[in-house]
Amino acid sequence: MNQLSHNMRLPVSLRFALRELRTGLKGFRVFMACLILGVTAIAAVGSLTQAIKEGLLSEGQAILGGDIEVSMFRSDISDEQRIWLSGQGILSQSTRMRTMARSQVGESTLVELRSIDRLYPLYGEFLTSPPLSNDALFAKRDGVWGTVIETALASRLNVGVGDTLDVGTIKISIRALINKEPDKANLGFQLGPSVMVYNAAMIEAGLKATGSLIDHYYKLKLPADVDIKTWREAADKRYPDERWSIQDSSGAAPGMRRFINRMSMFLTLVGLTALVVGGVGVSNAVKGYMDRKTKTIATLKILGASGNSIFMIYFIQVIMLGLIAIAIGLIAGAMLPDILILFLPDSLPISPEQGIYPQALFMAAFYGLLITIAFTTWPLGKARDLPAVRLFRALVAPDKQKPRTIYQVVVYGAALMVVALAIVLADNIALASGFIAGALISLMLLRGTSSIIEKIARKMPRPKNALRRLALANIHRPGSATSAVVISLGLGLTLFAGLALIEGNMARELNDQVPERAPAFFFLDIQKYQIDDFKKETLSIEGVDGFESVPSLRGQVTHINGTLVDELEVSSDFRWVIRGDRSLSYNDQEPKKSPVVKGDWWPVGYDGPPEISIGDEAATGLGINVGDTMTITILGREITFRVRSTREINWGGMGLNFVIMLDPNVMKAAPHSYMVTIRASGEAEGRAYNQLTKAFPAVTAIRVKEVLDKVNTMLVQIGTAIRATSLVAIVAGVFVLAGAIAAGFQQRVYDAVILKVVGAVRSQILRAYLLEYFVLGFITAVIALFLGSLAGYMVIVQVMDMKFTILPVPMIITVFVSLGITITFGLMSSIKSLAVRPNQVLRGE
Amino acid sequence: MIQTSSIIKLDNVVLTLNSGAGPVEILKGISLDIKKGETVGIVGPSGSGKSSLMSLMTGLEQPTSGDITVAGLDMGACDEDRLALHRRDHIGIVMQAFHLIPTMTALENVAVPLELAGNSAAFDRAARELELVGLDHRLDHYPAQLSGGEQQRVALARAIAPEPDLLFGDEPTGNLDKNTGHAIIDLIFDLQKSRGSTLILVTHDPALADRCNRVISMDDGRITDDTGDTASITTDGTIKALFEE
Repeated sequence: MNQLSHNMRLPVSLRFALRELRTGLKGFRVFMACLILGVTAIAAVGSLTQAIKEGLLSEGQAILGGDIEVSMFRSDISDEQRIWLSGQGILSQSTRMRTMARSQVGESTLVELRSIDRLYPLYGEFLTSPPLSNDALFAKRDGVWGTVIETALASRLNVGVGDTLDVGTIKISIRALINKEPDKANLGFQLGPSVMVYNAAMIEAGLKATGSLIDHYYKLKLPADVDIKTWREAADKRYPDERWSIQDSSGAAPGMRRFINRMSMFLTLVGLTALVVGGVGVSNAVKGYMDRKTKTIATLKILGASGNSIFMIYFIQVIMLGLIAIAIGLIAGAMLPDILILFLPDSLPISPEQGIYPQALFMAAFYGLLITIAFTTWPLGKARDLPAVRLFRALVAPDKQKPRTIYQVVVYGAALMVVALAIVLADNIALASGFIAGALISLMLLRGTSSIIEKIARKMPRPKNALRRLALANIHRPGSATSAVVISLGLGLTLFAGLALIEGNMARELNDQVPERAPAFFFLDIQKYQIDDFKKETLSIEGVDGFESVPSLRGQVTHINGTLVDELEVSSDFRWVIRGDRSLSYNDQEPKKSPVVKGDWWPVGYDGPPEISIGDEAATGLGINVGDTMTITILGREITFRVRSTREINWGGMGLNFVIMLDPNVMKAAPHSYMVTIRASGEAEGRAYNQLTKAFPAVTAIRVKEVLDKVNTMLVQIGTAIRATSLVAIVAGVFVLAGAIAAGFQQRVYDAVILKVVGAVRSQILRAYLLEYFVLGFITAVIALFLGSLAGYMVIVQVMDMKFTILPVPMIITVFVSLGITITFGLMSSIKSLAVRPNQVLRGE
Repeated sequence: MIQTSSIIKLDNVVLTLNSGAGPVEILKGISLDIKKGETVGIVGPSGSGKSSLMSLMTGLEQPTSGDITVAGLDMGACDEDRLALHRRDHIGIVMQAFHLIPTMTALENVAVPLELAGNSAAFDRAARELELVGLDHRLDHYPAQLSGGEQQRVALARAIAPEPDLLFGDEPTGNLDKNTGHAIIDLIFDLQKSRGSTLILVTHDPALADRCNRVISMDDGRITDDTGDTASITTDGTIKALFEE
């Protein structure tokens, strides 16, 4: 370092900066810790996201089950299309549906029944216990088809290899348990465990009746010399109006991709918040450092250094240390995903591709650099204008509050760039903008609150007790820890409290509110000829009430106002309405729970042109109104409907809601099934399930409790991940607090010495400090709870349209965490200050 | 040798500073003309404005009103950066509290003004200056490793290294014991003589004032006496009487 700092080829500012850095990192530990933490969080999130995406990409063929997947929901392709596809490469056919599986002792449950062929899988490994060939697993033996099932199903029905299940009208023999389905990630959310059979078994089971909800998949392995993009274009050209969905291996598991992108966005935003909290610590550290350098700066100015030189000398130091901290953060962030994958191998449905992801690391580094610049330029800019005469006398006139305009531009520019990047790179711009706006508003409110607290403390009547006076004075004196506690720790706690309240309210909704409103069961695929018997059977069960049935059929929206739906720009929140198959229904009467908003309901006996009623929010999202047209393909026929009305739909009511309802005249005569909901509780629920699934084995029963459990499990996992990242923000706040307390240490020592000289004992002095930190910690907790509750309210009520409740547990935890941290760190420093001998201070040693 | 051309010229300079109790007039209409090569002692009781006068002349303060020209530059018309550059090129200052940069060695401290001026031989020059002040064996020592006298020698070497036209000393022996202080003063005057700089010393020390060929007395922000460029000042004359007041 010495040689470098004497190298006359280097700029003079760099030489001086290197000399300053020789003395070590004293005063910069908090600076570096804050940056390392924030950069690590963002780098880890980004790297893990990329690792998962790379895993999806490299396993794309195995996940998709082919180079190309052609899928049809609730219908099948034509024979001509099948023949054409067969000529394109190696074609494997499979189907998927939900149905009931029953054990020989009468236990039944909802399962995902997958039928496959001998060629399955075209890519990837299909692993079973015991390992057997497809024919050995699935072929008919002694008149019985074979099956493989998931371990979860085996536990649920208490069956194993060798046992038999009833599915539809056939028995299937369990020949193995599934260890690995290579294309499971592509299946998306499953309501039940997997059961796999051959295609022929599915047909024999009588499950392929008209109207059954069966999805058909055609996986194609193309010849090596065929370009996938070219092939897709040829397919689109040959079948331009076909309603099938074509996916290639680069887009496998779209649902998972969307989920990963959304999670990554949230975790990155939380990581950024931690970096911003850390930025406050960075700023405090630099400010403290520059305060200690006042004499040196004044001396340099006396010796002829310009303001720009002064700025550069210290800016170089800050940037150098910042880059070192960022580098450490990048290394830690790059390693964390590998460690997580090692310790939590089963937590992800696909194997992330371990490796170094430069793009993710670059973004984390860039954020770290921007934060460093944004939070250090202000105090450096102010130091630039420190007058040289400061060396001779303390200025009576106050220092300028703001640095020169150019430095303000740099600060605001860097901050703006952070915000802009976070929004532009986000998966959902509206959500990201809302989050960032909330964080910025919280930061400003916390800053304002910190000033108000200091002002109030200053203006409060002075307590008669000297030690209480000291505690009060310590809250507002220059260099107090008040702003560090309130702003940094406050922001971390606000995030924590807000997330805990959001998660808690969602869990409450799922576990308490939804079960109250939701029926116990949804029964699907009840055929027309069965519905009366089904109703009779249901109402005969003691304890069951609330029977509701609606006709149901499937259709696919193809055009809106004559335009192909693929060519329409619609709100992403309502794209689901025109994507894939939709459940449709009809009713003579206007549904009580779904009243008309615009237009009117059909009169009894309507026999006019085909019309529909559509959900009001969906209509707005799709850009359609009463009088517009929507073309829907139903049972192979394209029918153009006029929009007669829009309805209010309360999805949270958990009833049988349909976004599109047809006029009663259109579908009465067409083949369709029925959906039923039943309310039952306690023992009646079990009785209803057993009796109805036994009496109607082909009817699909969805137990709402099981679905809610699944969703709850996912929620807990997501919540854990987000809260873990939010803890990073709290840790950053702790670092800032520790730094602020350390900066005030000399003052504490001096106070303690003077108090001891005039007769105070250590326990008295400690009590004064305890009071001070208790007040700060408590006020911070209150503010964090207020802001966190506000944020939680906005998300739960305004975004999710649910009821918001203040939950005691997160609030108590927030208060305890705030008090615990503030008092612990405050007292640790205070105890240390009490250990200093008075003479050391009084003699100026 | 004293020349006839002015190097410092003050014309009715007023300096007013703000305090918590309101503005305070520190200097009340100072007019002064210092020639090149003069050795000037500025004396007066505490609060008389001598340090403030020195601050004005070194560009550390700017006058509230009046004109001040130092080494050809109108100081009142310059910003902080311009004044810093002017100090770098023309002025050396030795301060009571030494004010060495604690994170730099003696050699590096002396090299600072030379490095700021872009002098590529800064370290060689600095080493020579330190040798001149008798500290060639302390080049790599940090200020904390030097005695008070040694630190002041380093400060002196730093002040003269750029060969300034003007050398200022603000109570340069104030923090030193008597013997060390004498040694420092001898050094200052020797260097002044050999370099031909104009020397201005703010001091309480009558012996130090005695060695200057001009003494300016101040009281309550005004110049009460100015011996001018005269050799007829005696130690038991006007100067001693000033200190006995």
